[in-house]
Amino acid sequence: MAGPLDIARRQKEKSFTPEIAGTIRQWLDPSLLALVQGTPVNCLVVSWASGLPADAEQQQALKPLLEKGRQAGLDFVGLIEAAADKPAAIAAARAAGLSAVAMETIPAGDAGIPIIAWAKSGEALWSANSPILGVADGIWPGVPQEKAPTGGPTNLPWVDSNGALLGMTRALTPDKDVWIFVEPPTKAKLTVANYLLTVADAEAYGGHWVISLDDQMRAGLAAKSAQTAADWKKITDAVAFFGQNKTVRTYERMGRLAVMSNFAEPDRAFGEDTLNMFPRLREPFRVISRTQALTASLDGLQGIFFVDQVAPEPKLREKLTAFVKGGGTLFVRSTWPNPEGSPMQLSSEEDYLYFNIRQFGKGRLAVAKEENPDTYFACMDVQNIMSHRGDPARLYNGASMNYFYQVSPRGRQGVIHVLNYSRLPGSANALIYLKAPYRAASFVSPEIASPVALKWSPLTSAYETGGAELSLPLISVYGAVRMET
Amino acid sequence: MKKYFSRREWLAGTGAAAGYLLTRPSLSFAADQLATPAPRLIARAPAGRVTVGKCKDYGSNLVPALEKMFDQLGGLSRLVKGKTVAMKVNFIGVRWERLGNAPMEETFWSHPKMIGAVVHLLGKAQARRIRVLEGPWSTAETLEEVMLSQGWKPEDILSAAPNVEFENTNYLGRGKKYSRFMVPGGGWVFPGYDLNHSYEDCDVFVSCGKLKEHAAVGVTLSMKNIYGTTPVTIYGEGAGIDEPAIRPQGGRGGVFHFARRAPSKSAPQQIDPNFSKDQGVRLPHIVAELNAARPAHLAIIDGIRTATGAETNYGNRPQAAVNPGVIIAGTNTVATDAVAMSVMGFNPLADRGTAPFANCDSTLRLGEELGVGLRDLNQNEVTGVPIAEARFDFAAIREKILRETQKS
Repeated sequence: MAGPLDIARRQKEKSFTPEIAGTIRQWLDPSLLALVQGTPVNCLVVSWASGLPADAEQQQALKPLLEKGRQAGLDFVGLIEAAADKPAAIAAARAAGLSAVAMETIPAGDAGIPIIAWAKSGEALWSANSPILGVADGIWPGVPQEKAPTGGPTNLPWVDSNGALLGMTRALTPDKDVWIFVEPPTKAKLTVANYLLTVADAEAYGGHWVISLDDQMRAGLAAKSAQTAADWKKITDAVAFFGQNKTVRTYERMGRLAVMSNFAEPDRAFGEDTLNMFPRLREPFRVISRTQALTASLDGLQGIFFVDQVAPEPKLREKLTAFVKGGGTLFVRSTWPNPEGSPMQLSSEEDYLYFNIRQFGKGRLAVAKEENPDTYFACMDVQNIMSHRGDPARLYNGASMNYFYQVSPRGRQGVIHVLNYSRLPGSANALIYLKAPYRAASFVSPEIASPVALKWSPLTSAYETGGAELSLPLISVYGAVRMET
Repeated sequence: MKKYFSRREWLAGTGAAAGYLLTRPSLSFAADQLATPAPRLIARAPAGRVTVGKCKDYGSNLVPALEKMFDQLGGLSRLVKGKTVAMKVNFIGVRWERLGNAPMEETFWSHPKMIGAVVHLLGKAQARRIRVLEGPWSTAETLEEVMLSQGWKPEDILSAAPNVEFENTNYLGRGKKYSRFMVPGGGWVFPGYDLNHSYEDCDVFVSCGKLKEHAAVGVTLSMKNIYGTTPVTIYGEGAGIDEPAIRPQGGRGGVFHFARRAPSKSAPQQIDPNFSKDQGVRLPHIVAELNAARPAHLAIIDGIRTATGAETNYGNRPQAAVNPGVIIAGTNTVATDAVAMSVMGFNPLADRGTAPFANCDSTLRLGEELGVGLRDLNQNEVTGVPIAEARFDFAAIREKILRETQKS
């Protein structure tokens, strides 16, 4: 955020001050490019056109920055908003030597400059012909209203995360890079940990956060504050950490349950909520897009939650019912036509509140009783019907944490990502339980200099066979357990 | 000290409390008289019989230790033969929050081996049907599922005796309607409580708690364990406004601890809307009321392995997993808790301002006023291992942790 266009946009805010305007102007200073030297930041996103009178002034004001940046090997992407004169803005971007522009609708034909799709998540964005998808509706991660904590429906505190958004986007567009755009909240007092979490929340789930700093931090950096510079280094170090560990982006999410959907209307909200709920229920899961479901492997799955109200096409239905016949459990919405199998006789306590259970082959078909069930309760019933017997993994002592589990293509390596969304000090070290522990495990994090070897502890209660636990070091923001057979 | 009790003595001890179920006063008696927590003696409480046993772990010595203790109380078969027994166990709090590495059953929760051992002995005493009950935090999952989530084997409990069942009592469960239990004398906070049918559909009620301190009410033993009988569909933060919710959601803090909301209108409402909102006043009164409304015939407190400092993981309190190696059992919850408090190093006659009731009323005193039992050890029959030999000083552990924390 730099230049006259951003000032014009921000002037509408009540809290806007001359000092903020000064910081935004200062942010155009080419000498500040030194901040990204030697860091993994190799591309800068700038406001380019938004249909305001300040557009031309903005493009003019950016020239020195663009020139010096290009000399330093940096790429620049210009944001073109919906109200802008797009052909003119694209032409200006081309003339100014921008590497690409980002805009909501990609025009037909050759624009003479790469165009990145940049829009709110949804079918239009996901189907865009663009190697990079810019998701404009990311959320600032954390525990909302942490000063007065309230339990979410899960009674673990609710956490805001981009995990669901990225889970959908990655499942639907596995070959594309995903950039998350989210601005820091203007009213909150932020610490560097908030930024580190925003980096980690995007990177761990397979995306990249387009770093955007709050006014105070930008002012500090412009003023060459040593403390702010140290905080900035921590942020870029965290980005570097994930860059060095990018192999895990090729790993598959692991879980005995898969959520299957195209996340298209009218099922977008229910599907996204589902991806938000299962982490709070501590249920590791995979996400399978419906469009790729025919070729997707269902190996290792015990259950599939087909969240779409629209029934699958015949071949997919055939594949799903074969999964049930073979012993799996398929959860479907109430609109599932002509359900297979016959109703199971259950005791009143086993008569689940949100699903009717039907026996089909060796498995079960669970049909939602209501057309629009509460997502949390539906997910809870899914977990209850699946049973905790044989949970592949569990997380203890991490009320404000989410975790997810990935395995390498050949299954020899595993990684468990743990994200702490609370900015309050941790109370106890998290514990990870794995049903099938790997031979070796180590802990890595941007918060520590080198990996720490972890030791498996067989369950002290010794009721469950085969499982073991790992006690993790304190995790302020993010840590990962790397495991090898 | 008397070692064994006759059948007549046993029945006298349990029957006095159970009698209140048959002589519930009307609502109108209570509403205008008991709007404030003024101490008042509702009935002369019965003397209790309490026994203390030592058992270092949950191994093979547990069943013989419990059997000996039940014999010291007059024999289990006298109480349960041919009867349906409901046993409320303790699975408090969010199940994913352990005290360090220690499993839930070795700190805050009833231990599965303890549950299994008691179930086994109830079966051996020819109980007709044994129902293990609990309302685990904010879930309609079966108790089997809750156990499985901790790596337990529920089959071990289900097979410990014939006709063993589990029921999650946090909601309607297998019942068609909730059962209403009125407080003798009308109550201070609520005139009565609506509970899952399981607490009515039984002949014998057992409170199987854990030996713990409690952040809000000082101690949580067999009396406080009964607090968990209240379904959160009615008394939880997500309870229905007019009618009970279908699914349990939220904890009981909003209704019981802080009076931020009322229970579902279908249930008896707070007698005086201006009753204190201080949880140190509210909770002891509510716990005492519940103990009087649904008295236990047998109280068992598992102190083999437990936690000091609080009832669940608070993170910021001086807490430790400990191994007192003690079990306490008795014929009413007040007397049993009194002995347990003494084992923990506290004075059972202590009241507000004195540990462990530094910031709250004594639940035991209030239970005594409602006729549940007597807290003065001299007025109860205490047998088994002398308390002095079983003592495990909870306050000392807490102070030691504080000293070590300050040093570090």
